[in-house]
Amino acid sequence: MKCTRCKKLACVSLPSHHSGFCKDCYPLFFTRQVETAIRREKMFTHGERILVALSGGKDSLALMLELKLQGYDITGLHIDLGIPNSSNKARAKVENFCDMHDLTLQVLEMEKEGLPIPEVKAFINRPVCAVCGKVKRHHFNRIAREGGFDVLATGHNLDDEVARLFANTLRWDTAYLSDQGPMLPAAEGFVRKVKPLFRLTEFETANYAFLKGIEIHSAPCPYSGGASFTNHKKLWGELEHRSPGQKFQFYHGFLKRGKPAFPVQEETSGVTLTPCDECGSPTSVGTCSVCRIKATVRENKAKAEATQG
Amino acid sequence: MITVNLEPDGEVIELHGTKTVIAVLNRLKLRPSMAIVARNDELLTSDRRLTPGETILVRKVTSAG
Repeated sequence: MKCTRCKKLACVSLPSHHSGFCKDCYPLFFTRQVETAIRREKMFTHGERILVALSGGKDSLALMLELKLQGYDITGLHIDLGIPNSSNKARAKVENFCDMHDLTLQVLEMEKEGLPIPEVKAFINRPVCAVCGKVKRHHFNRIAREGGFDVLATGHNLDDEVARLFANTLRWDTAYLSDQGPMLPAAEGFVRKVKPLFRLTEFETANYAFLKGIEIHSAPCPYSGGASFTNHKKLWGELEHRSPGQKFQFYHGFLKRGKPAFPVQEETSGVTLTPCDECGSPTSVGTCSVCRIKATVRENKAKAEATQG
Repeated sequence: MITVNLEPDGEVIELHGTKTVIAVLNRLKLRPSMAIVARNDELLTSDRRLTPGETILVRKVTSAG
């Protein structure tokens, strides 16, 4: 296969774009997709401060490097979840990456926050992935707010967005459908949230990370077995193989024609947010869900220790 | 024989009778957009031919949390 741009031997084939690219031209394709996403969705400007959530995976590290190359004012944020034999490896990849590329990094340790994820798994009777996601979003927003950042950027890609939209649609979850998108404007207590990789698939970010020599943390989380999004991604992988471009059409069709119907509904059934009594984060009840989770972990852990003792 | 280093599984798999990247992916039950394939530092598209004795990297791209 030849490169669509320069006719040299291609190293990446993209059926959904009817294109292939060589190692020199592929990063240009990637850069242009990110530039288009930022421009069309008015995500941020070169004058704004951007906090980038870094998990250590290919997507977040590729995003961080690409935003640096595009000259944005970026700071990385990694949350050390405290999961044995996993979190330390992810953290090391992020720290090495930021050292290598001279990038500013903040690390939040869940152990020090009194909520290491192994304790959430042990003492909270809910799916650990859902609680972990909630806790991470809470701290991303809190740190962005407290640090005076204009925007929080995450490495969510087209596959992530399609899997989430698919799950939300299967449940007809109008609340989630009303705010799903690549750019969520700032609101009372919440910073603006953006997903600059939303036009690119996991395959495309994986190729970029490889060509840029990014060392990634690729081992799955030991707690994530059976996560529904992973199964949805497999289903969509088959659909995309049979009909290249389906993912993009599904997601962009939603943004253009589906999503506009949902905010109207949420306006009539939405709830009022006030600052959490304990941490100040926005919540619809007096104490936010993360503070309540922390309290429940504390109580259940004390009960378990009393029983053992 | 082609030796495959499969990531993130960490497995090493030896495949016989596979002469192209797409044949390797088919044997691993992977679609071309579900994994990147590389020989040393070179990414390979699924139409590329392989030579017996070579070692390649197959890295699945679906993040699982």
